[in-house]
Amino acid sequence: MGNFEPKIVAFLCNWCAYAGADLAGVSRLQYPPNMRTVRVMCSGRVDPVFIIKAFKQGCDGVLVAG
Amino acid sequence: MLDIAGIGKERLHLAWVSSAEAQRFAEIVTDVTESIKNQGKFDPDSFIFELNAAEITLAGETLRWLVGKEVKITTHGDVYGRNWDKESFESILDSALEREYQMNVIFQAIKQGCKSVRDISSKIGLDLMRVSYLLADMEKRSIVEFTGMEDRKPVFAAL
Repeated sequence: MGNFEPKIVAFLCNWCAYAGADLAGVSRLQYPPNMRTVRVMCSGRVDPVFIIKAFKQGCDGVLVAG
Repeated sequence: MLDIAGIGKERLHLAWVSSAEAQRFAEIVTDVTESIKNQGKFDPDSFIFELNAAEITLAGETLRWLVGKEVKITTHGDVYGRNWDKESFESILDSALEREYQMNVIFQAIKQGCKSVRDISSKIGLDLMRVSYLLADMEKRSIVEFTGMEDRKPVFAAL
């Protein structure tokens, strides 16, 4: 289990967290590469069904950030 | 929902980050990754039953109506003029969620070939009383059908 790299699906709001993630990249902040980003226009767009679908496809965790 | 399905809500994280908070974003991603790492791998195949049921439940009409009407009913009262506080509405929502989910698990079990109440109950780990109670409800809603007796056991089929 020591070198287990989780797959995490991140739903990021275009205006908040996605811009934050973009800025993190621009300012060369280090963060783990386990995130698979899905850009949404608003975190309210994230349907609970999306989260279940993500788990069904085999991801280990989900992050919704707005 | 994830808790009811036995997946655990710890796998889902929710965070608020503004566009100026790159540092905070990096911290959150690090924390979330760490937490998921500690929880270990998620195997969707062993949860396929639960995931299917959860998906149908969340996409279903009952839940959508309840969630959609929550603000209206808790602030202006329902169509009978009764006022609801947030807590009692949410407890209704929770019990509806659980009931819908259990019905959908039963439906999945029947589709998989479980026929009698005892089969379904042992497959999904719900007690006999609850299964037969929910089956009666599902029969009323024409989701399942009573197809007759087999070895003196009532047998059901999915519609």
